[in-house]
Amino acid sequence: MIVAERKPLGEIAEMVAPYQKVTVIGCRSCVAICLAGGEKEVKMLVSAMKLKNRREGRKQDFDGFVLERQCEKEWVKEVEDKILSSDVVLSMSCSLGAQTIADMYPEKIVVPGLNTAMFGVPEEQGVWSEKCLGCGDCIIHTTGGICPIARCAKSMLNGPCGGSSNGHCEVNLDIECAWYAIHERLKLQGRLDLIEMVRPPKEWTTSHSGGRRVIVREDAKLTPHQKRDKEAVI
Amino acid sequence: MKRSIQVVICRICSGAANVLDTDKLLRVASEAPYVGSAIAVDYACNTKTIAQIVEEAKDKEIDRLLVVPCSKNEVSPALFQSYKRKAKINEFLMEAVDLVSEVVLPHRDEPSKAQAKAEAKLLAAIARMAMLEPLQKGSEEMRTKNVVIIGAGVAGVEAAKRAAEAGLHTILIEKSDKEVKAPGVVMPRSRLISAKGHAGNYELTIEAGEKMEALECGAVIVASGGDWSEAKGPLVRACPEAKPLYKLAQELSSGNIPKGGVVIVDTPDPKADTTPAQDFAWEEALQCAIEIKKRESGTDVCLMFQEMRALGLAELSYKEAAELGVRFVRYDKKRPPKIDSKDKNRIVVIDSAQEQAIAIAFECLYYASIAPNPDNMAIAEALRIPMNDSGGVRRGSMQKGPIATPRPGIFVCGSAQFPRSEEMSRLEGRAAGALAAQFVSTGTVEFGGSVAEVTPEKCSACLTCVRTCPYEAPFIGVAGKAEIRLQLCQGCGMCVGICPSKAIELHNYTDDQLSAEVASYIGGDF
Amino acid sequence: MAERNPKVVGFCCEEHGIECANLAVRSGKQYDVSVRLVRVPCTGRVDGIHILKALEDGADAVFVLGCLEKNCYYDTGSIEGRKRVDYVKSMLSQVGIEPERVEMFNASSSMAWKFSEIVSKMTDVAKRLGPIEPRGDGQ
Repeated sequence: MIVAERKPLGEIAEMVAPYQKVTVIGCRSCVAICLAGGEKEVKMLVSAMKLKNRREGRKQDFDGFVLERQCEKEWVKEVEDKILSSDVVLSMSCSLGAQTIADMYPEKIVVPGLNTAMFGVPEEQGVWSEKCLGCGDCIIHTTGGICPIARCAKSMLNGPCGGSSNGHCEVNLDIECAWYAIHERLKLQGRLDLIEMVRPPKEWTTSHSGGRRVIVREDAKLTPHQKRDKEAVI
Repeated sequence: MKRSIQVVICRICSGAANVLDTDKLLRVASEAPYVGSAIAVDYACNTKTIAQIVEEAKDKEIDRLLVVPCSKNEVSPALFQSYKRKAKINEFLMEAVDLVSEVVLPHRDEPSKAQAKAEAKLLAAIARMAMLEPLQKGSEEMRTKNVVIIGAGVAGVEAAKRAAEAGLHTILIEKSDKEVKAPGVVMPRSRLISAKGHAGNYELTIEAGEKMEALECGAVIVASGGDWSEAKGPLVRACPEAKPLYKLAQELSSGNIPKGGVVIVDTPDPKADTTPAQDFAWEEALQCAIEIKKRESGTDVCLMFQEMRALGLAELSYKEAAELGVRFVRYDKKRPPKIDSKDKNRIVVIDSAQEQAIAIAFECLYYASIAPNPDNMAIAEALRIPMNDSGGVRRGSMQKGPIATPRPGIFVCGSAQFPRSEEMSRLEGRAAGALAAQFVSTGTVEFGGSVAEVTPEKCSACLTCVRTCPYEAPFIGVAGKAEIRLQLCQGCGMCVGICPSKAIELHNYTDDQLSAEVASYIGGDF
Repeated sequence: MAERNPKVVGFCCEEHGIECANLAVRSGKQYDVSVRLVRVPCTGRVDGIHILKALEDGADAVFVLGCLEKNCYYDTGSIEGRKRVDYVKSMLSQVGIEPERVEMFNASSSMAWKFSEIVSKMTDVAKRLGPIEPRGDGQ
């Protein structure tokens, strides 16, 4: 899932400092799950901001709540009144949610309360690690289920670099060398022949290097007639 | 029914009269919102008084009660029971406000400030009470009156006897095939594989010989014990004649009293983490030392240890041993005793008390440690209970549940928790048997009331509650959202405090209820 | 700066926390009226939100008192309580408010002396730091 981290509170305070009415909007999806932008974090943030203001002798109006999924227009539309009446929207969602609001209400100032970091998995409660870079052309069937694009610091495609040492990456000793891991995995599966497979240079146009990507399912798109405004989600 | 609180202030015993102005307290209470009746009485434990105030409650259509008693732990059960039965007040809408402990006793010297605090506390309690909801407990029949005891050692057999005395059916699971004299059923060559269910209705899977058996029970007692450690450590390797203490006890009982020096060390491996020094069989070691000295006063006896732990009356043995001339040498784990390289009948150690190296000659060396049962971990995992640092099963809490484990219906006794002397093990076994009997005898198990509840629409199914709860009460249900198993929930609120989407609330300790109480209590001047 | 009495709030668990406090007072210990206690079933119930809100409501200092970590009635409750307190402390640091205003303590119901230590320490903090309000020294 998308893993994000709350920005340092000082940075957030600076972003909203010029505004009087601050509307803080969180999300119940990925950022709640990675403990960055759910209802609890929103409430704690508002409280901390109020305390900061009390110490500094200023007053701002804060309103905080969460949406089911901030990247969906229907859910954002539900709180249109609150967005329009705010001086600034402080989004405690991943950047997708923040940008959704910003795109829907281009005259409103929207600031990000979180740093969207990565696609990550919870290794254990409280620890998330990056496993995918969204290259758009998955090859993990050839690497025993381990992604070398994300898990190798250099995104090497054909085995480790010379810096691999005792199974660790030269960039950071805390990181396992992905190709060491791939080797061990393929060995376990009795498929070491895949290590010898030569992978040609990757088709990077499917990744971000080819520019912002758009994925379309023609069979899912709505006709103009279908697209008429429906009643609110809730 | 509208929310209407009756506030009862017990004047005399709360000692309030000496510090607080109870009339003013009463006035403040009666003017608070949602208070339908405010009374001060002299003795709220007096049956006649109780009858009067219950009548008043019924007249005024009261649905919730706040009592300022002499102390929270001493609220008369008769009081709450009368309200419950005669005024039909929900048991969760009756609380005591402990002004005695929190205001009267600690602020005796500042009566005016104490008064302000008492009023604030009462108003905060009223604010909280006004927001509570009536709650119902559920109950379930226990399908059996079985108590399963794991381990047929000293503690286990004693537990079985005690539980059987109360009329319960006991099943002793024993891993060896030694002969066991105990009531109920004994299953030799058996071990616990897994456990499901909850207190009152546990379903165990036992491997009995080669077969798997299913067993239902109301309670489980872990009495898996420990045993004399025969572990070899550096001390023992340097002195191959060193023996475990039980061998000395055997020699003494067959009349062989050593004449040459005897040294008893607490562990064969003083530096290691595998045999913590606490496993020293103190009482047995003291008994042996005393016996030797009484029969051969000329024999030098020395006890070498990291920590002295003669529990309870064993202190007297320590005194007796010291008076008989037994030598006690305390050492630090970082500077352990060693066999003298030049003379293998001398042991050299730095005595912590004197901060000096001393050498002690001996003829016989014994080590007196009891190691935890290596099976404890498998048992603890099967029962989903935590372990402690010494390789034993953790107890609920020293003060509140020394024989309990954090999981209701599962008890621990004897060396399974921490190495014990035989006498202690017997006593603890008896206690465990009694507690299990008390629990199972009722035949029903209650649950619910002040427990957690998930609002599915708010749940992100992040699994945080599932991972955090020590009782495994939350689970992700068919709707893909968290749900709480009421039979397992202990009402601690850990899941509530941690839920990132604030989807769980703890009944009668909700965020709003706590906020209202805090805001009211700290609102005014202190 | 307004002259007012210091305000300290203590969230105490119903098991060891409040009983530690009770034992202290029953042994005759007096303590500063600046301290007011709120009961929770377990310190694991305490949410960072409650601590921050207590500060918002006017507390100068907040403490959380739970069971000793290896002796917690609910197994891991006080471990959870500590994590919440630590997180709030880090948030306070980030907004320029003294993190020592919030503390976690562990005690058992027999450690009466510990309660006296706690109220003493937190009352000192409250008196020394005063209410959370503009300092007048420019930041």
